[in-house]
Order: sequence, then C-alpha cells, then structure tokens
Amino acid sequence: MGVASSIMGSALASCSGPQNVLDPAGPPNRSINHLFWAMLVVAAIIWAAVVVAALWAALSRRRRTREDLEPIVDVPNEEQRRHVGIVTGLVGATVVTLLIFLVYDFTVGRALAERPSRSLTIEVIGHQWWWEVHYIDPDPSKLLVDANELHIPAGEPVQVKLKSQDVIHSFWVPNIIGKRDLIPGYTSSLFLHADKPGVYRAQCAEFCGLEHAKMALPVIVHSRADFAAWLAEARSPAAEPNDSSAKEGKKVFLAGACSSCHALTGVEAYGTIGPNLTHIASRRTIAAGTLPNTRGNLGGWIVDPQSIKPGARMPSNQLAAKDLRNLIDYLETLK
Amino acid sequence: MTNPARRLPPNESAVTDPGTLPDATPQTLDEDLLIAEARQLEITWRDPAGLWGWLTTVDHKVIARRYIITAFLMFIAGGLEAGMMRLQLARPENTFLGPDRYNQIFTTHGTTMMFLFAVPIMTAMGLYFVPLMVGARSIAFPRLNAFGYYTYLMGVVFMYVSLFINMAPDAGWTSYVPLAGPEYSPGHRIDVWAQLVTFTEIAALAAAVNIIVTTFKMRAPGMSLNRIPLFVWAQLVVAFMIVFAMPAVAIGSTLQLASDRAIATHWFNPAEGGDVLLWQHVFWFFGHPEVYIIFLPALGFITPIIETFCRRRVFGYTAIVLSNITTGFFAFGLWVHHMFATPIPELGQSLFTAASMVIAIPTGVQIFCWLVTMFSGRPRLTTAMIFLLGFFITFVNGGLTGVMLASVGFDKQVHDTFFVVAHFHYVLLGGAVIPLFAAFYFWFPKVTGRLMNETLGKWQAWLFIIGVNITFFPMHILGLNGMPRRIYTYLSETGWGPLNALVSAGAVVIVVSVAIFIVNAAMSWRGGALAGANPWDSYGLEWATLSPAPNYNFLNTPVVLGRHPLWDTGSPLPVVTGLRSDRREVLVTTTFDAQPDHKHKHPHASIWPLVMAFVMVELWIGSIFTPWAVLGGVGLTLLVMLGWGWESSMESDVERVATEGRIVEAA
Amino acid sequence: MTAPGPTPQESLGSVRELPTVTFGHRSLMWWGTLGFMTIEGWSLALIAAMYFYIRQNFLTWPPITVPLPSLTIPTINLVVMLVSVVPAWLADRAARRLDLGAVKLWLLISTLISLAIPILRWYELWALNVRWDSNAYGSAAWLLVGSHAALLVLDVADTVGLTLFYWFKRMPIKAMSDTSDNSFYWYFMVGIWVPVYLIVYVGPYVF
Repeated sequence: MGVASSIMGSALASCSGPQNVLDPAGPPNRSINHLFWAMLVVAAIIWAAVVVAALWAALSRRRRTREDLEPIVDVPNEEQRRHVGIVTGLVGATVVTLLIFLVYDFTVGRALAERPSRSLTIEVIGHQWWWEVHYIDPDPSKLLVDANELHIPAGEPVQVKLKSQDVIHSFWVPNIIGKRDLIPGYTSSLFLHADKPGVYRAQCAEFCGLEHAKMALPVIVHSRADFAAWLAEARSPAAEPNDSSAKEGKKVFLAGACSSCHALTGVEAYGTIGPNLTHIASRRTIAAGTLPNTRGNLGGWIVDPQSIKPGARMPSNQLAAKDLRNLIDYLETLK
Repeated sequence: MTNPARRLPPNESAVTDPGTLPDATPQTLDEDLLIAEARQLEITWRDPAGLWGWLTTVDHKVIARRYIITAFLMFIAGGLEAGMMRLQLARPENTFLGPDRYNQIFTTHGTTMMFLFAVPIMTAMGLYFVPLMVGARSIAFPRLNAFGYYTYLMGVVFMYVSLFINMAPDAGWTSYVPLAGPEYSPGHRIDVWAQLVTFTEIAALAAAVNIIVTTFKMRAPGMSLNRIPLFVWAQLVVAFMIVFAMPAVAIGSTLQLASDRAIATHWFNPAEGGDVLLWQHVFWFFGHPEVYIIFLPALGFITPIIETFCRRRVFGYTAIVLSNITTGFFAFGLWVHHMFATPIPELGQSLFTAASMVIAIPTGVQIFCWLVTMFSGRPRLTTAMIFLLGFFITFVNGGLTGVMLASVGFDKQVHDTFFVVAHFHYVLLGGAVIPLFAAFYFWFPKVTGRLMNETLGKWQAWLFIIGVNITFFPMHILGLNGMPRRIYTYLSETGWGPLNALVSAGAVVIVVSVAIFIVNAAMSWRGGALAGANPWDSYGLEWATLSPAPNYNFLNTPVVLGRHPLWDTGSPLPVVTGLRSDRREVLVTTTFDAQPDHKHKHPHASIWPLVMAFVMVELWIGSIFTPWAVLGGVGLTLLVMLGWGWESSMESDVERVATEGRIVEAA
Repeated sequence: MTAPGPTPQESLGSVRELPTVTFGHRSLMWWGTLGFMTIEGWSLALIAAMYFYIRQNFLTWPPITVPLPSLTIPTINLVVMLVSVVPAWLADRAARRLDLGAVKLWLLISTLISLAIPILRWYELWALNVRWDSNAYGSAAWLLVGSHAALLVLDVADTVGLTLFYWFKRMPIKAMSDTSDNSFYWYFMVGIWVPVYLIVYVGPYVF
C-alpha cells in the first residue's frame, strides 16, 4: 500500500511542468487530455472488474486439498446456456465500449485536424543533435534563421513544417500537441496552438543516435504583442561589439574554427554545419537544451563539448585563455 | 466421466488400400509384451553414444530442451542488460554508461528479448510439446528442426561475441533507417543486427513448417480438427503467422538494409528514389504480428493449466479457437499504428485505429471464457495458477493501455515515450513471460520427471508479479511527464528522478524472483519429488506417457475420443498397435479427421544439420565483410545438400508403396 | 504415484499393414515442400509489393536515365522454363508408376533443360539494363529477379543431384516420392516466375 500511495503521490505531483502531457497549454492538448482521462477512468474500471473477478473466482471457490477431484467434462446444458449468455453479454459490453472510444477518438481527431489557411509558418529542421528554426515570411529577405529555441505567439495556430537534414527525429512539445516525425525525403507539418504564454520544453522523441538524449528545444509562447517585438528584435543582424575584448573575441570567432561551422547574420561567418549564433546571448540554453546559458557553461562547452555531449559534432577547441575569454565576451554581446 | 464408444474412427484409406486396417475388437495388451516392446523401441530410437550422438541427435525433445535452455539464458542476458540500463537511469545525469555503450546495451536488450528469447522460447515450447500433445512419436522434419536450432544458436553466439568486442548494434531493435543506413552507421554494428535477424528468421521458419506439418499430418487417430488441444491450436496459428510475417523482416534486413550497406543498393536512399518509410512498413508488417507470435502461444499455455487446476473443461473451446484465428488475421492489419507520427494519410490512420481496437475483442473473448471456467470450477492455487492470476492483473492492464494507444491523438502524445515502454512490457511480461513461468511449473515434471518446489514457486510468483508492477507502472507516468524512450540520461530539472529510482528498485525485485526460479529449477531437476506420468491428473496426451517422455514418446499411438483424451477415456488407454519397434516409424494421419493413413520412416541421427548451420555462418556472417561470401555460401550449401541427400538415399528398406490405387512391396 | 512402466493399454486396431511410402498430399515431404513454397511465394509477393511502393517515387518508370529492359533473353528463358515443365511432369508420372527407367530418362532431360535456365538467368539480369546500385528502380528490379534466381539455383541443384544419384547409385524406393515432390516444386518455380516476368520485363512497356 505504501508503494501504491507513493506512486499515487508522484502521479498527482506530476500533473504539471514545462514538459508534461498532463499540463495542457492549448486547446488541442486539452481535448487530448479529456480523451485520455475518460479512457483512463473506463480502463481502470474494466481492469478492476477483471482482476476482482479473477481473484474472487480463484480464492472464494478455492480447494484446500491437494487431491484431484473428478474433472467435469460434460457440462449440463442449462449451465452451458447460462455461460454463453454471460460471455456474450461481456463481449457485447466490450464492443459497445470500444465503439464509444472509437467515436470519441474520431471526434477528437477531427478537432485536432484544424487547418487554418493563413497562419504564421515556421520551419523546423532536425540535425544530429540540434534544431534549426526558420521563421518564414512572404518576403524572402525577411527570412529569419535561428536555432535551438522556438518562439510562437499565443492564441493562434502556428504551422510548423518539419524536415530533417540527416536521420529521423521527432518534434514533440508535450504541453501543446503530440509529436510528428522529421523524416528525410518527406516534409510533414503540424499546428502548434497554445493559449498559455510561458516557457515549455520540446524534446526529440525518435531515437536519432548518440546524443538523442540531449536534443531538447525550449519553446517560448509569447503574447501576440511580445511575439511581434521578439520577431523584430530577432531579425536584427548580430550586434557589433563595443569594448576591446569583445572586438578581439570577434576576431577569434572569424579567424578560428567557429565561423567554419556557425553563421552570424550580418557578419562574415556563413558556416551552416552548426547552429546560427546571431543571438546566442539571448538564448536560455546552449547545446540544444542541455546546459543553462551561463558564462561558465559557455566556456566549458567551447573548450570541451565532448565531455558534456559525447559524440556531438562540435570539436574541442584548445584556445589560449585570453582568446577564450575574449571569445566569450564577444558571444555575450550577441543579444 | 463420459465413455464414448471405444473404437477407431472410420478409415477412408482402408477403402483405397483394402485390407490395411483389420477391424479388431478391443483387446487389452499384455504388460510383459509392452515392456519388451518398450525395450526394443528404446534401442531403435537411441542416439549414438558420446559427443557424436550429442551433436547428431534429431530427437525433438532433446533439441527443444536445448532451445528452451538457450532461450532462457538469453532472457537472463537481456535481463542483465535491462539491469544495466536501470542502473544508468536510476538517477539524473548518471555516468555509469556513456551514450555509446548505452545505445548498444538497449539495442542488444530489445534484440535479445524479441529475437533470441521470446520467439524462440515460444516456438521451442511448441517443438517440445506439440508432438507429445498430438500423440506422435516424433516431429515431422527432425533434421530441419535440428538445423533450425543450430542456426539460432549461431545467431546467439554471434550477437554476444559482437557485444564483447564492442561491435553490437546500436540503432535500436527497430534499426530505423537512415540512422541504421550506411551513411550514419558506418562500421559493422548494424550488419550484425541485420544478419542476426536472418539467423533467427530461418530458425523460426523451420520451426513453423515443422509445427504446421506435425499438427496437420501426425495427430493421433481420432484427433479431428475440432479436437486439437488449444495449446496446439495456438501454436498452429502462430506457425502460420511466422510463415507470413518473418519473410518481411528477412527481406528487409538482409536483402534491403544489409545490401544498402554492403553493395550500395538504394532502397532507403531518398536521393536515388528510395524511401525511408518503406523500412518502417516492412519492419512493422513483421513487427506487429511478432507481438502476437509471442503472445498467442502463451494464451495456449493458459487453457490447459486452468482446466487442470479448476477440474473442469474450459468454456468456449470453439470461441477460443476462433479468437486465435481472428487475432492471427487482424495482427497483420495493425502495423501502421506504430507509424502514427509519420506523414501518412489520415484516413488510413483511422482504419488502423479501428483495427487496433477491434483486436481487443478476440482477446477479451478468451479472458471471459477463462473467467467463466474459473468461476464454475474448483480452483487449486498452485504456483502455475498464481502466475495466471498475475496474468490477469498485469496483462489486462497492458491490453487496456493498448486500446488507449489506438487513438491517434493520444498515441502521438505518448508514442516513443516511457508510456509505450510501460505498455509493451505489461503486454509482453504479463501476456507472455508470466504465462511462460506458469507453463514451466506445469510442464517441468514432464520434461524432467520431477516436480518443482511449490513453496519457492509461490514466493517467486508473487515477487515476480509485484516486481513487474513496481518496475513498469511508474513508467506510464514518466511517459506522460514527457520522458522519451531510448535516452541514456536526463537532466534533474525534468523531475523524472524519483520515479526512475522507484522503477530501478522494482527491477531488483524481478531479479530476486528470477534468481529464485533458477535455484528452484536447478534443485528440483536434481532432487525434486518424482512426478510420475500424470502428476496433476491432467488430460492431454503428453501426460499419457512416462515423465520424462522416452525417446520414442509413445509405446503405442494413443487413440483420441474427445477434446480431453485422458479425461474422456480413463484407463486403460485406447491405442493402435502396429508401428514397428525395430525401425523408426511414425504414424501419418489424414489432415481433417486424423484417420490412420500411412507409416512414415523417420530419419536417424545426422551431422548434416549442424554442418548446414555452419554454412549459414559462413554465408551470413561472411557477407558482412565481403559480398563474395554469399557466393561461397551458395556453393557450400549445394555441397551440403548433396551430402544430406546422399545420407537419406542410403537408408534402404523394403517398403510398402501406395501408388495409383495399389500397394506394391518394393525395396 | 504411477509405477514406472507402461500404463494399461487397450488396442483398438493395428496399423501394421498400412503403406510406408505415399505420393502427393499424403506424404509429409509434400507438405513440407508446400510450406516452403508458401514462404518463398509470399516473399516474392512482398518484394513485388515493395517494387510497386518504390515506383510511386518516380515520375517515369523506368526512370528517365534508364533504358527499358530488353525482352529477348527473358522471353527465351520464359519459353525454356515453360517447356521444362513437360519432362518434370513426365518424371512425376513415371515416379508414381515406380518406373525406374522412365524416371531416370525424364530426370536427365529435366536436368539438361534446367541447367540452361540459370545461365540464361545471368544474361536476363543484365537485360534489365540497369545496375542494382544505379537507383532504387535498379535495386527493386534486381531483387525481384535475383531472389527468384537464388531459389532457382537451389532447385536446379536439387534436380541435378537427384539425377546423379539415380544414374550412379541404387536409390531406395521412397526416392520415387521425392522425385514427385521435386517436380511439384518445379511447377511452382515456373508458375511464380510468370508474374515476376510480367511485372519486371513487360510492366515498364505497358504502364
């Protein structure tokens, strides 16, 4: 009983959080939650009924002797008829229950299938093991390329187009909607419809190799006004450094290994192997949701990513202490 | 107890072959003569002495016993891997296993449990008991049977050697492309997986053909289709499922995945018109029936155990047979529910949702039939029965979450999370492993001649049931709390730590339970109470012979007068005589009504099955390193076929040949 | 406890006089052969399904860069295969008559014809006019023809082996039944080839 109550305790405590199916942040997941709880209650009743029946049959009519009774091979017709009735009734009840589930599920499915014709479109591209995010605009010059963080407005469905650069990944924001795979050779899409601003956490849900475990994506739901402001800010090119150490750091960035993999909008860094770093300093995490974005973590990540995320595509960078300090200074200006 | 007319079923071949079955009046056989005949049979069916005999035996019981033991060792190996995973996940950001090692371990765990434990042990139970239950002296194709086992054994050795030389597969037991393709998994790890699958598929197909033909053609006289034991029905349906499911994955893994990797075909390469989703279709077209291939035999174990310990024939024989067949059919119509998160048309998804819910009905029918049987019987709570209570507690939970998962909307939320991990462990442990333990306790005396210790057994049963539930129930919640499967670590701020610790603690309980089983089995095998032919007063033909069954299975072929042979007939056992004791003869009967048709000459011990298995090693393992190994393998196969055929053609005897309406004596 | 020893038994009749060698669906080997035919036929059907699945990814079939398959060699081989059914059938009949001389004769003729088939098959593969590693079309076509070829080689080898045995050693009478099953399997090999031929060689012309 102690175990059961501790499980129940954990269960109740686990109905909220930034990465939790049971804490819906939008209408689609709310209707999935209704469906889930309804099915859970019905399932729990059925389970309890079957288990009680089995235990009762086994315990109440139990033989206490080890002797073997004469087996009953011929069953009286009357008893047989009664049993046929019972089993037919139970099977009928099963069929009815399943039908109700089915109809309920189809209704929820139709509600989930809303396809607004005009909406903000965002493209998410999976990489081993990070997320590239494109904010599409009718004007191609306003295309915003970002990474490892997804910003959406609350209160409207946002279309997310999903592609993969290498292997299959799966995009999943538990609080908002179920997952959708990113499959090479296919484009798929889903709609994110959130109505509770906040910071949620998406995580890759299809095994994608060594660092599948460390491929998360903070999802920030803004109010509409905040989102517009964020978008405008995010479209700005990389900030120019002011102080000397940051200026030195920029040189390190451009001269060293950094720029061969990472791009900075408005600066001569065009690498596309790694995430775009134009606004790295304003991101909440680094290494795809793996570490909080602090100065210490940033330094540790640059010098020795392989001990933090073994197998990640980023090599270790043995920089001189001064270069490293300058580089971090520079990165911290990239708000 | 009924006592139907004790006579043979009418014999149609007696019409085409007049005079072959003299209608005899029932006649009690003299005990001394029977003993003398048993001595002769013992010699006729004996394996050669020593190591040679050990390598060449074609006794289906010896082969199946090795099969069961090997597969159980694989259960332990897979369990140890699970233990390592639970150690790693017991707390956040643990460093017991790095990602590279962890990925190999979880892949090996899944591959071992599905391909090297679950399917082989279920077919092995069939290979052991189907001939005994249908009253046959042996299996239809004993050398094919031996070949199947050795091939499987080679796969086992291959897999575990790979694990110890750091070459174990690491893309999951599903090996999704392109992750498992040549570009993202260089090296030989995935090749090991692909060819291992081929080994186990060959073994499963060999077993399936054997079980089908044995069931169709070698049943005791009188065992018409509507009297086949439910255990055998389940094995028969599963054998057919193997025939239609296994080729898909054999083609997928060897002819597509491995050839994409080795000779640059483009099945899964989108750049050249290939398609990565094709792999998922191929894999799950096999993979979903696979679950039922594991689960249906376990349902076959349950009925005789319930009947025996509730002292009552099961309610709904026909309903259970039809449920098995329906499940077998529908199992092939569900595979897309593993792909709800992929871009496939929504109408298709709805159909698969409906099918996934419908398949709950036949399983429900069986559960209701058993409950009714238990209610109207007088149950005795032996260890086997306690395990069956565990089946109801655990499996029904897994079945119900399965129905929930049929919903596309909900499935997309918990697909590839620990919720699904919880679901399929409930189904596989509750629906297959728990009944398997029940079956072990029930049939152990038939295999070893000794009973298992019931006190230890009951401890083991309850610990197992509790352990499984502590381990897997919290995983449902973890999944809903956003924990994806197949991750080697997680951050502490996810809050998944406490439940993961509980899960790992539950795993310890399971380990203790399995350890008790091993101790119990070992002790009982050496010194358990002697069982006698029929310790539970059960009804199946397997209980009509000695425990353990002699190498010739049955002195004389029993005659079946109903669905519960021993309960229907009582003593003395009705039999037909006339199978020779000085050469290996088995009785072949007609497919539907099981009328005696002819006597088939059964082969002797042979080394060729083992040699052929080594050729498979050359072919499949060699092909990992060079495609030319395939050519060498084909050449060697031809040579072995020649040798095998030569051996068969040397066994010359005077035979009675039935051909074109006449019978000819010829040599 | 039952004492070790036989339980009391009552005989309801004797099967002593039943035959020991039978033909066709009465024999176990026929059923085993049928089992493997089912597995192999189903495998080819699955490969054909994959062939059509892959085809959805192409606008033209074969893809524009690939020429249509040649029909000459495949059609010749098809005719040879169909013709080879005749001696196989005659060997089957002879075996059922237990006519040793005729069995040896027709097996020899079967062998001679069927040896030509794998050789023609080699050229038939190249008649696809595409390599397995050119594109997914090539992979699919090669697998469909190639997997039939693998079964074909094994079966031809079986026929050759049986013929050699019959000509060079004394065969037991039950080998007659095996001969009949060998022909049974050969009908399947030829029969299953017809749809494969139509799909792979004729299909690209028609659709």
